[in-house]
Formats: sequence, C-alpha cells, structure tokens
Amino acid sequence: MLKPKQMSRLLIAASRDQMAPVIAELYRHNLFHIEEYVDVGAEGYEGFKIGTPLSGASEKSADLIKIRAITNAISLSADDVEKGPSCSMDELQARIERELPLLEREVEELTVRRSKLDAREKELEQKIHELTPFSDIPVDLNLYHGYKRFTTIAGYVSRDFVLSVPHEKYLSQGKEKRFLVMVYPSDRKSEVEKTLQEAGFQSVPVPNESGSARGRIEFYQGEITATRKEILEISTQLEDVKKKHAGFLVACEELLKAEVDQSEAPLRFATTKQTFVAEGWVPADKVRDVTNSLTHVTEGKIFITVVPIDPEQDSVPVEYDNPDFARPTQVLMDVYSRPRYTEVDPTLMVSIVFPIFFGLIVGDVGYGLIFLAMAFGLRKFLKGEAGGQMLAVLRNASISTIIFGFIYSEFLGFAIPGWKPLLYSRHLMAEEGGHGPNIPELMVLSIWIGIVHLTLGRILGMYNHATQDHGHHRTLAVMANFGWLAVMWGIILAIWSSAAIPLMPDLRGLPVLWTVPGLGFGVTIGHVVGIVLLLVGIICIARENFLEVIELPTIVSHVLSYARLVAVGLSGVAIAMVVNYMTFDMFINPALANFTILSIIGILAGIVVFVFGHLLNIALSILGGGLHSIRLHYVEFFTKFYKGGGIRYNPFGIKRRFTEE
Amino acid sequence: MAAEVVAAVDVMTVEQIAASQMGMKALGAGIAVGLTGIGSGVAEMGIGSAAVGAVAENKDMFGLALLFTVIPETIVIFGLVVALLLLFV
Repeated sequence: MLKPKQMSRLLIAASRDQMAPVIAELYRHNLFHIEEYVDVGAEGYEGFKIGTPLSGASEKSADLIKIRAITNAISLSADDVEKGPSCSMDELQARIERELPLLEREVEELTVRRSKLDAREKELEQKIHELTPFSDIPVDLNLYHGYKRFTTIAGYVSRDFVLSVPHEKYLSQGKEKRFLVMVYPSDRKSEVEKTLQEAGFQSVPVPNESGSARGRIEFYQGEITATRKEILEISTQLEDVKKKHAGFLVACEELLKAEVDQSEAPLRFATTKQTFVAEGWVPADKVRDVTNSLTHVTEGKIFITVVPIDPEQDSVPVEYDNPDFARPTQVLMDVYSRPRYTEVDPTLMVSIVFPIFFGLIVGDVGYGLIFLAMAFGLRKFLKGEAGGQMLAVLRNASISTIIFGFIYSEFLGFAIPGWKPLLYSRHLMAEEGGHGPNIPELMVLSIWIGIVHLTLGRILGMYNHATQDHGHHRTLAVMANFGWLAVMWGIILAIWSSAAIPLMPDLRGLPVLWTVPGLGFGVTIGHVVGIVLLLVGIICIARENFLEVIELPTIVSHVLSYARLVAVGLSGVAIAMVVNYMTFDMFINPALANFTILSIIGILAGIVVFVFGHLLNIALSILGGGLHSIRLHYVEFFTKFYKGGGIRYNPFGIKRRFTEE
Repeated sequence: MAAEVVAAVDVMTVEQIAASQMGMKALGAGIAVGLTGIGSGVAEMGIGSAAVGAVAENKDMFGLALLFTVIPETIVIFGLVVALLLLFV
C-alpha cells in the first residue's frame, strides 16, 4: 500500500543442460521479470555471450505464424472466446499435428478464393465505370474498332467545336463537361488533335466490347451480384470454421506462444560454453518459492542468490501493491505513468478521492443508477483487462454518485419528493418552503477540498524528496515544497484576517497591531503571520530554483480550479432542469390540460425531448464528471509530488486461459 | 432626446429598477460564460488537432490526448463560477 511491491534481484546460474527445466519452471511461476543480458561487444572480449534458442524453436515459430494467419483470416481474438474446458498439452500437441495442416489448407483455400473474387468484383466495377458514358450513344460497341484508315476517340470536351476535317461525331448535351465520340481519317490526326486541344479534350479509353453499352452494363451488374453472393458464401464458410474451431485455435495459439517464449528465452540470458546466467526480478515475498522449486527441478544442480540492489541506480520493475478495491484505479495511473520504485504510489488515494469527486460533480440518484447499469451491462462488450478495470472504476463512481444524489436530493434533475437535501441544495429553482441553491457554501466547500488536497500533495512531495534525494539538494527540495505550502497558507491567513467567508474561520477579531493611516485598515496578528509565511515561503522556493518564483500565481489558480467540482455539477443540474421544464411545462402539461387528438403529438414530443435531453446530459456527465475529476488529480494533485516513469513489471510467463500445464 | 431619457428614468419604479439590475446581472453572467467559452475553444483548437494527430499515430495516446484537450476547460469553468456568483450570491 502506498508503495510498490518490494522486489528482489535474483541471480541464477547453472550448467547448460539444466537450461530447459529452469526456463520451464520460471515460465510456470510467471514471476521472474528477466533483466536482459546486453552483450558489450568490445573487441577482444571473451566472456559471456548471448544464448542461442532451444532446439525446435523455429518449427514452433512457424506453427505459431500459421495459427496467427488463420486467426487473422477469420478475425478471431482470444478475448472473443469464453473460457471453456482447457485441454491438456499432450492432447493438444497431438491435435496440432493432426488437424492444423488440414485446417490451414481449408482456411487458405477459402481466403485465396475470397481475395480472387474481391479482385474480380473490383474489375467488373471498373468496366461498368468505363462503359457508363457510352450508354447514351446509340451505336453498337463493335463499330468502335477494326478500322484501318479511321481512328475512333472518346473523351470529354468543355465546349462544342468546328472541325475542317471530314468526320462523324456524337456530342452529349451538358454545360461544362460534354461527352464526345468521334471518328476521323487517321491521316488528318494532327489537325484534329490541335482543334481538340483547344476545346479542352480529356481522353477516355474506348472499351473493347461488342453489343450495346447498356446491355453490357446490365450483364456486368449481373456478374457482380453473382460474385458478391459467392463472397458471402465464403464468408459464411469462414464463420463456420471460426465457430467450429475457435476453442482449438485459441488453445493452440496459447500453447505455441508459451513454447516459443520458452525456447527463445536463452536469447535474454548470458551464456558460456558450459553454463548460463539469468538475472531478473522477483517480488521479495516470492523469492523462497521460486528458489525452492528451481532447486527441486534441477535436483540441486543450480546456484541461486539474491543480489543486493540500489533502488536508485537499478532499473527495478514496478508492480502495484494495492488492496482489491483500489486495483481497478491502476488503469488510471497507467494512463498517466507508472510510479517509480522509490516514490509514493498514490493509487489508493486516487481510488478513494476520484469517486468522491465524481459523485460531487454528478450527484444524482437517477444518473447514478444508469451508470451502475452501464458498468454491469457493458461487461459483455468490453472484454480486455483495461476495459474491465475501467468499468470497475465507473461502478465505484456510480455508487458515489447515488450517495451524493441522496445528499443533494436529486433524481434526474427533480427533487426527490419528501426528501430534503442533507447538507446543501443544488436546486436552481427554490421549491415551496425550501431554500434556493447554496452556491456560496458549495463553492467554499470545494475550495476547502482543494486546499486539503493540495496540502496533502505538497506533504507527499516533501516525503518523496526526503526519501529520494541526497545531501544539500535534499534539504533544498524539501524546503522548497515547504515553501509552496507556506505561501499558500500565508495567503489563506491573510484573506481570513481581511474578510469574512462562510464556512471559513473569521480572523478579523484578532487584536489590531497597527492601523494604516488614512484607510482605517487594521493590521492584525493574522496579517503579520500570513505575510511572514508568504515571505519565508518565497525565499524557500527561490533558494531551490529562482525561476520557480514566476510560478507563484498557480497557487491561487490551482486552488480555485477545484471550484469546478461545483461549477461543472451545477451546469449538469441546469441542463437536467431545462430538459424537465421543456418536457413537462412546455409539452406534456399543456397537452393534458386541454386534451384533444393533437395533444398526443405534444405528449410524444415531450417524451422525445425528455429522452434525448437526458441522454445528452448523461454523456456530458460521464465526460465532465470523469475528465474533470481525473484532471484535478493529474494536473493539480500529481504535479506537487508525483514523477512516474517506472518500468512495468512484466514477468516471464502467461496467465493460461485455455491450456493446462 | 436627453430630456426624454431623464423623463424615462424619472418614471421608473423601484420594481423596474430591481428588474433592470437583475437583467444587467444576467447579461454579465452571459458575457462571462460566453467569452470564456470562446477562450477555451480557441485554446482547445490547437491542442485538439495535435491530439487527434497523436492518437492517429498511436492509439495508446488516447487517454493522455483527451486529458490535454480538456486542460483549457479551466478558463470556461472560471467563467461559469463568475456567472453563478453573479446570479445566485
């Protein structure tokens, strides 16, 4: 929690004949993050070399490529297949040898035929395209060809022209582009070409066909229909193959991928003629398991040791260590950047605060229920791991939305009947006997949230610098973070001493030390403390980096930025209320008050406005609620302490879904 | 002309003055949201087009791209805050 998982660096050395069992065992554990061996390649270097793949690697790779070709052709992905009964390796191996070549031939034949037909369809369409201009000309297509002394041309001209050469032409009607077909004696070519060029002639190939152009077009259209029908048939056949063999194919792919991964693992190890050395990372609490089982499979003929690590120099892979409910939020962290091994992992804080912000912004029981239904309903469509995590985040956010909906007493923009808002109301129209919106209180509340959140961020920043930096720089960095805090609180104290703000302490009552002559403005001890804090803070910031001082205004803008928690929420409430007002007060109620047949149209229009308006507001709420909540984290909170850029922990192995060991 | 205006002001009742003040507030709120909206739009224009380009190159950028695009939204939020304060405080 709040820190990535502790990692240990393992060094494994054994003789080469133990390589295969060691790799298999590491793969089975799916815990060992391999630190790749890089060959120095210096001249005259005689030491470790990069290993060579295990035997049979190329055959397995070839098989894997075949499988992937098939799955691509039938567009099958492992996520589409429900986890079925998994088959044992031997059984699968036998089936691969027996069935795979047949299946490959079948799919290949079908795809080759399909691509030929696709090409044929394109060709036919091109022919129709070429023939179309000729369809208006009442001349048989035979007559365009086979002359010795005459030339036939076709094309578009921009205007009519007069030609001195004896010729026969057909010119279609039209304003800008007119289609021209012309026959002229071949020996007068140059004169004709000159005139045509003046008329802006663009040539079109004369189709080599016989019969009437219209007849040919109809014939080709018939051909296209037949081709499309055949393509459809092949697609259904491929679909059948997919249905029939999907389970087998994904299991094959998984098995072969595992085998290829294992046989190529030596490429990441350091080897000599007789031995190999593998280095990598294992979560500290799993070291004993891995060591024991490796010793077991090699019957003790192996050397394993935990190498001491330097967390700042070594590239330690980072694996989150979070309680179950915070785990989905890791997807939001990975969008920004994975934490470094040495810094605080804020996932837990985000997983608590993000839903609260979302709820504060949307805060509507009706919308919350719709989001909850979406979070469960979309599971069928979003299958990957990240998709599932996103939906879990949405689920948490929607629960928070429902809770805040009760606090605000809102249901699809209406007040919940008989239920007063628990804390503050966001109802823009004051209901009977009720209170209007408590905007000032809500605003101040959101500012308070901002102050607390940013203070927490700065304290974490001080902690991070204290643990990560060294020497003089460490002191300066910690003091700079303290300086930012001091400036913020100094400003806040000075404001409290000068003006009364609801929900905030009023320090105007403090004893006046000095009155500014002429203005009657009393300087209290609050002002003095505030200004001292401000100055000390600026000095602390400037000592670390003088240029940072120009960033001082961001203190105010970052705190005020939290006002969006109320402002975005209120704009959503306003949209919902407008939709409800239009639905009931403009359409449905007037229609019901004076009911005629035409009223039905009014009622229907009201329903349409209601559905579309709320759909729009739901989309805006997800965007507004989600983006603004996460933005407050990324831009305002994280910039105070979080660097990120950690290496992803990527253990050697896979999660088996379709095969057994 | 000037005399007419003076005469018009003379005959305004207290209710009319209150209503015209309310109207001024509403105008102010509208201007606050409208102008800041334009500001946000102009700022998001460049970011948005660059973000679409980045996403077209690499789909994994989508999350970050969306985030960068909404950063100038702060401007219109401030406008919204001012409008709300004008209308309700």
